[in-house]
Amino acid sequence: MADQPTAGTEVPAVRLTSISKSFGAIAACDRVDLTLRRGRIHGILGENGAGKSTLMKVLIGLVLPDGGTIEVDGERCQIKDPHDAATRGIAMVHQHFSLVEPLTVWENVMLGDTGRFDAAAARRRVGEISEHYGLGVDPDAKVGDLSAGVRQRVEIIKCLRRDPSILIFDEPTSVLTPGESEHLFDVLRQAVRDENRAVALVSHKLDEILHATDEVTIMRAGVVVQRMETSEADAPMLARAMVGREVSLRSEASALGLIETAAAAETPDADSDGQIEVAGDSSGTRVPALRLRDVAARGPDGRISLDGLSVDVFDSEIVGVAGVEGNGQAALTDLLSSLLSAESGTVEVAGTAVEPGKPGAMSRAGVAVIPEDRHASGCVLDMTVAENLFLVDIERISTRGLYDPAVMRRDAARLIADFEIQTAGPDAPFWSLSGGNQQRVVLARELSYSPKVLVAAQPTRGLDVGAIEWMTDRLREVAASGVGVLLISSELEEILQLADRVVVLFRGRIIGEMARADVNLEELGLLLGGSDAAASAAEAA
Amino acid sequence: MGGFFEAIGDVITNEVTYSGAMRFAALLAFAAIGETIAEKAGTLNISLEGMLLGGAFAGALGMHLTESVTVGLAFATVVGVVVASVQANMSHRLTANQFVVGLALNTLVLGIASFLNTSIQPVSRAAHRFEIPGVSEIPLVGDAFFNQPWPLYLVYPMVPAAWWLLYRTRWGLEVRSVGENPQAADVSGIDVNKRRRQSIYIAGFTSGLGGGYLVLGQIGRFEDAIVGGQGFIAIAAVIFGGWTMRGVIGGCVLFGTVNSFRLTLPTVGHELNSELLSAAPFVVTIVTVTFFAYRTREPRALAQPFVRGLT
Amino acid sequence: MNEQARPLPAEDSAAAVSAASERAPSRLSEAGVAAAMYLGCIVIALIVSAIIVWVTGGSPQDVFSALLDGSLRAPGRWGETIGIAIPLVVVALGTAINGRAGVVNIGQEGQVMMGAAFAAYVGVNLAGPGPLVIVCLLIVGALAGAMWAGIASWLLYWRRVPEVLTTLLLITVASQATGYALKVDWLLLAPFREDRSVRNQVSDQLSTGVRLPRIDIWGNDFPISSIAVVLMAVIVFVLFRRSVWGFRLRMLGRNPRTAQRAGVSTVTYGTTAMLISGACAGVAGAMMLSGGDFGNYRFTPGFANNIGWEGLLVALVARSHPVGIVVVAFSFAGLRAGSGFLAATGVEREISQVVLALLVLALLVPPAILFIRERRRALSATRDRT
Repeated sequence: MADQPTAGTEVPAVRLTSISKSFGAIAACDRVDLTLRRGRIHGILGENGAGKSTLMKVLIGLVLPDGGTIEVDGERCQIKDPHDAATRGIAMVHQHFSLVEPLTVWENVMLGDTGRFDAAAARRRVGEISEHYGLGVDPDAKVGDLSAGVRQRVEIIKCLRRDPSILIFDEPTSVLTPGESEHLFDVLRQAVRDENRAVALVSHKLDEILHATDEVTIMRAGVVVQRMETSEADAPMLARAMVGREVSLRSEASALGLIETAAAAETPDADSDGQIEVAGDSSGTRVPALRLRDVAARGPDGRISLDGLSVDVFDSEIVGVAGVEGNGQAALTDLLSSLLSAESGTVEVAGTAVEPGKPGAMSRAGVAVIPEDRHASGCVLDMTVAENLFLVDIERISTRGLYDPAVMRRDAARLIADFEIQTAGPDAPFWSLSGGNQQRVVLARELSYSPKVLVAAQPTRGLDVGAIEWMTDRLREVAASGVGVLLISSELEEILQLADRVVVLFRGRIIGEMARADVNLEELGLLLGGSDAAASAAEAA
Repeated sequence: MGGFFEAIGDVITNEVTYSGAMRFAALLAFAAIGETIAEKAGTLNISLEGMLLGGAFAGALGMHLTESVTVGLAFATVVGVVVASVQANMSHRLTANQFVVGLALNTLVLGIASFLNTSIQPVSRAAHRFEIPGVSEIPLVGDAFFNQPWPLYLVYPMVPAAWWLLYRTRWGLEVRSVGENPQAADVSGIDVNKRRRQSIYIAGFTSGLGGGYLVLGQIGRFEDAIVGGQGFIAIAAVIFGGWTMRGVIGGCVLFGTVNSFRLTLPTVGHELNSELLSAAPFVVTIVTVTFFAYRTREPRALAQPFVRGLT
Repeated sequence: MNEQARPLPAEDSAAAVSAASERAPSRLSEAGVAAAMYLGCIVIALIVSAIIVWVTGGSPQDVFSALLDGSLRAPGRWGETIGIAIPLVVVALGTAINGRAGVVNIGQEGQVMMGAAFAAYVGVNLAGPGPLVIVCLLIVGALAGAMWAGIASWLLYWRRVPEVLTTLLLITVASQATGYALKVDWLLLAPFREDRSVRNQVSDQLSTGVRLPRIDIWGNDFPISSIAVVLMAVIVFVLFRRSVWGFRLRMLGRNPRTAQRAGVSTVTYGTTAMLISGACAGVAGAMMLSGGDFGNYRFTPGFANNIGWEGLLVALVARSHPVGIVVVAFSFAGLRAGSGFLAATGVEREISQVVLALLVLALLVPPAILFIRERRRALSATRDRT
């Protein structure tokens, strides 16, 4: 329907017709149509797992669709791989960076090019693009020395250098501060208006879509539910279309990025119950399940990753650690996984001091962890599902240093049933499981040794809708059963949905804290960007 | 102890030491230059030893058949590349473990070379010395650099050439990226395993040539034990040099000098325990790597196979 | 696999991969395909060896026949083969352990040398009842091997010196050090007697009391250590299959970060694995010396005689499986025993090395292909599911 007004005169840059793709029983995209036009920013809005990323992967050649047609500049074609996409002028700024750290900016930018190798020209070109869009990137800087925000600009330069006619941005602001995001959208607008490119902006944040786009396609559970000109849209309308029901609760509205709208609403959160008070006013007297005091630590590169961090988590409480990615989230998880030693400060679990960095000390003390990157520290891909279920506490089924694989298999089968893990059986290799099921195995194992605290780092990242819901429910259950939960997430929506108390992590320290009922989104937004004024205001409050 | 220092003094004032050091260093450099490129791309190429040995035997064989040093060197490079092709395709096409392939290759080349050596018994001799007039008159080190068997001079242009290849060409950029972050390189459209195979071919080429130089420039005839672990010392030189061309060449010169001490000490009339002297290059290598190399950072994907989707 | 351990020489991913075939009916045909592939690769390796023999004017048929005679068919050769297999199995079992922990040890040759040299010193110089001295020399041999491997693991965890390099370089150091010990009479050099010419550098012969007893079965005699070796294989099998220690060792080898989180200290477990590996190589050296199949109860220069290298290859080919190790070690030992019969065919005995290396390379191919196939299949199923 959005086709009609302009279709007569101009051939669209991209027209996807009836694209379908399913993974197993889940239809990630179900007969999706999408049209991108030159000179316009097209927002693709949807919740996590709505199918928007899959759709973009089809366009960039990372996923082959089960059905449907692709037309680029009016010409029907197949896009088999990213190279194919590149030759047709389609480029994507990746959500997770594809940069080589020890190389310089210009080297990274020209990586993958073909033709004559002219370093001077490449360096000049990077400088030009950087200047043209006001990106402020030094061509000779080593990528490894750059912050996440600057790295993303390097990615953008890498894309723009090939002068693509179609640019795709996949959740570009997840690693950016509000200021950086604003800057990014300026660049985007310039690339579109002045140079007549077509841009697809994939996001689940309403304010981003409202601010930056010209038209918007809303997806839910693999299908397009609505299409409209952004000028005709308003936030509640978009939210309704995206979630599929009326969005009234403040927490949910704010979760969708409706910062202004939500901040304006002064009604207290009807959903909050007594838990917050428990957490809020008894902190002086009760022993917290987890207490960190002035913890400082350095990453493997020698840089300070935690800088005097203090936080308490009480029994039955979910504490959400909000923050823009790269502010110490990974270090905090590592610290609580015995993977990082502290230079100073203390960690106490139920009142007992635990030495960070000592192998296994945290899990023995009762700190369960769902790591951000489960492949890095949450599982062993080459071991079986059963073995992965017993990685941390094999002692539970062993006597005198020996265990019986049959017992292990039997116990594992029970956990597999309890946690509804889809697998061929206890002996299936862990890597054969889908992401959601791998996450279930991790959770099943971490809960099996009756922890006092559960650290969940980005627990729903990369999961599909069903899996997200399941994980969210489980986290609530875990807290209800008396375990303290530390939820580390860069998704504000997730934190506001789950947490009883929100703390803000900025440059390795907690710079603000508020009970969910008192969340002022404007203030929270400022805190996320590290604003001192907001921090002192929060402290004063 | 006084005798020891006196001996060292005699050695370092003797220009024979420097000539010898240069010859040993050149052998190490031939191998280490190629190994640097292979390691930059992510392969810890244990079969370097086998490449040197194969090159050495092929050099002798080429000389035996044609009486020509040039042909011998050509044979040597061909065999070096053949050994490399096995290493490259088995470890970066079949994804077999690179250490296992390297060890098996070393055994295989040693077996074939010594088998053919006793069967054929090739006759060879060293290439003639070529004195570069003028510069060879420089005291102490003039002979070392500019009055050597001519195959040694081949190593001089190879150093800047390898540096240029690594740091001034698109190919070199891609090689460095696949050794550091193969996933990112892959996303950027680079065939990771192809670049890795190519870099091993380069290692085969240079160390094959090194083997040829060893037999035709330095020793004159082939023996089973002719390489005797020098390939491993070349690998150590790469680690010692922190994967930079300058450092690697420095490592080669250092280890070559230690090796040369071993030979010159007896000639200047000092009796030192021969086992100690034979072990010295290895001990010195371990000690120097221990104290100098830990600060440098190895290519992040060194010795890690790349299979797309294994992330 | 971002933070996953680098895959190691000794890997049993083949087992994991075959377990991955989820469809039961096809499992049989999968096994058939694998078996056919192994057979095919072995045949190709043998054909290539035959071509090498043929090109140099030998008769491949004579060579293979001689190898068979020398290893199995001629009277008493079983004993010879078993005698050679003993140290190979022990070295390989140790290698399997460090491989499991994700630490590389390729210096077994040097560790065997050290073990044998120290054992020789104890065996010659320690006075006491025979069996006690035997036990002592085996223990000292194990300690010497562990010490030699320990240097590498110490440098690895202290200064991150790559253990691939140090274990390798220490081989030469070991052979020079033991060579020196054989030159001075207060260490290992045998006093001048009629059975030793001045120039020969050998140790004194172990007296009959401190030699391992030999078993004789139908004219095949081999040392009693063979029984201990079978026991060791069983122990390692149980360690790998059922022990918490083995489980954690594998975790460390496959994903050190996950392991550290679960309480497996990289340094403690890695060092232990390396020390055990070195101890195995050392005790193999001591068994070689006191068993009689090598060097006639004397320590000589080059005593290890490639057993360390071959033991390493045994472990790699058998993919660290204890039962596989025994089988492969026996085959390799057969090849070595058989090469003694090659002289009659006029073909140099180095050909047995060539056959061995070609077999090793050939046996790397099938698991690699199976792995890639399984990967592709799984990839098409799980790709982008997240």
